[in-house]
Amino acid sequence: MALLKASDLVKRFGNANAVKGINFHIEEGRCVSLLGPNGAGKTTTLKMLSGLLEPTSGSIDFKGKKAKDLRPFIGYLPQYPAFYNWMSGKEFLVFAGQLAKLNRKEAEKRSEELLERVSLTNAKKRKIAGYSGGMKQRLGLAQALIHRPQLLILDEPVSALDPLGRREVLDMMREIKEETTILFSTHVLHDAEEISDDILIMHAGEIAISGSLESVMEAYRQPILQIEFESQAADWLKSIASYSFVSEVSIQGNKANIVLGDMVNGKQTLLKDIVDRKLPVRKFEISQTTLEDLFMKVVKA
Amino acid sequence: MTQWTVLYRKEMTEMMRNYKMIWIPIVFILLGVMQPVSSYYMPEILDTFGGLPDGTILEMPTPTGTEVLMNVLSNYGMLGVLILVLSAMGVVSAERQSGVAGMVMIRAVPYSSYILSKWAGLLTITLISLFIGYAAAWYYTGLLIETVAFERIFQSVVIYSIWLVFVVTLTLLFSTIMKGNGSVAFVSIFVVFAISTVTSILGKYMKWSPATMTEHTGQVLLSGELDSSFLLAFITTIAIIIFLLILSIQIFKHKELLE
Repeated sequence: MALLKASDLVKRFGNANAVKGINFHIEEGRCVSLLGPNGAGKTTTLKMLSGLLEPTSGSIDFKGKKAKDLRPFIGYLPQYPAFYNWMSGKEFLVFAGQLAKLNRKEAEKRSEELLERVSLTNAKKRKIAGYSGGMKQRLGLAQALIHRPQLLILDEPVSALDPLGRREVLDMMREIKEETTILFSTHVLHDAEEISDDILIMHAGEIAISGSLESVMEAYRQPILQIEFESQAADWLKSIASYSFVSEVSIQGNKANIVLGDMVNGKQTLLKDIVDRKLPVRKFEISQTTLEDLFMKVVKA
Repeated sequence: MTQWTVLYRKEMTEMMRNYKMIWIPIVFILLGVMQPVSSYYMPEILDTFGGLPDGTILEMPTPTGTEVLMNVLSNYGMLGVLILVLSAMGVVSAERQSGVAGMVMIRAVPYSSYILSKWAGLLTITLISLFIGYAAAWYYTGLLIETVAFERIFQSVVIYSIWLVFVVTLTLLFSTIMKGNGSVAFVSIFVVFAISTVTSILGKYMKWSPATMTEHTGQVLLSGELDSSFLLAFITTIAIIIFLLILSIQIFKHKELLE
């Protein structure tokens, strides 16, 4: 059963349509990533789902029912989480827990559990003002989980972190996804590929592609040829566009990605060409398009 | 524990941690004590400075206790208001600016609980400061000048507190509307003094104004009797305070809380 279903969701700011009537649903127990370039409407969508922003029109169903206020069921981590800097990490979690209607004892217990889980136990008595960016992000994750939400919504959870912090948060998300449905937005495609089950790609306020990661990759996957030269070979690369089996050539410095209609024939002909012309080739590889290629295609279209 | 209680307790803890709970009452005590002390020692003070030429005949009647206390309240009306507004200006705007207000509102907290917890926090600090400061002024006046009946003191401070409550409620509203701390303070102080000035100039037509509370306070101190127009002023002031609170809640509801 769909945990959450959005129908014809629209958000208008003045004259600009930030979100133009999107439809999607989130299955229980899945980890869904919402992809899109900056300004695609990701944050606006997440805010509408978490009840922080009133949709201009459209509806959101939670567990098959029209829900007025979703906030008790949802844990939300904003893009830039803010805290009371004069509180300690633990105080803030207890405060958040009590606001989520846990009693003091429960809130204390749950805070300890979560501090352990996001490995902030050693820093729990320190003032939040002294926390690093990564620690704040982890504390943000903990506060979103305090009331055991059924859906965890994370807005760009790893974008602002260094590689180490990113790794930590991703590992935590992988653990959390065993218990809770997760919806997170990102523009780091690698992260989406790594941990999500389903993907939604947004572009200019609309959902361009949605589905499970495998099915989307399957449907849009194309074999490509990657060639790397020791020096520029732009002349030849331009000339091959006239072959009928070449459908697309993109050149980046000494490297080229070539999308082929007919892999078997194409690679033979091109390889022969390279040998005949004595082109200084370094690498000649057959691979598949990645999520990034798909993303680029959607966004540029 | 309700969400309101949690939020109110957070307000109180915050005011303890940033020492507002200590320095604002201290300022009120100083403002209150300075008046009787300086009235009492005025001849000595003038002597020390030695500014008066020989032969000057200076008749200086010692002020009565009630006059001293009225001066205390007029100090509160200027410096006290300034300090209360400056300490209250960020009450909502700073939390909106940092984004932490959004972190609170994710928790299905009613908008009214948020605003009313802020209001209750402001009320607490205002009333504590006023009562302690005024009590200190009363004590020193009794010690140095003359004793003023406790009944009059109590009545006057209660009436005066309504005016200060109005001032902080107004600050809370502007703090909800605007984002910059400076502009909140400026507009609040401007409006408060505009109301005071208009009330004192057009006294006849402004019998309902909250600013008349300061006049009623003086009246009670001097004569122990309330003016007949007090009831009207009291009712409109309470009504305006309630209206300001409702307005703050409504405005807060429509603000975007997480950028």
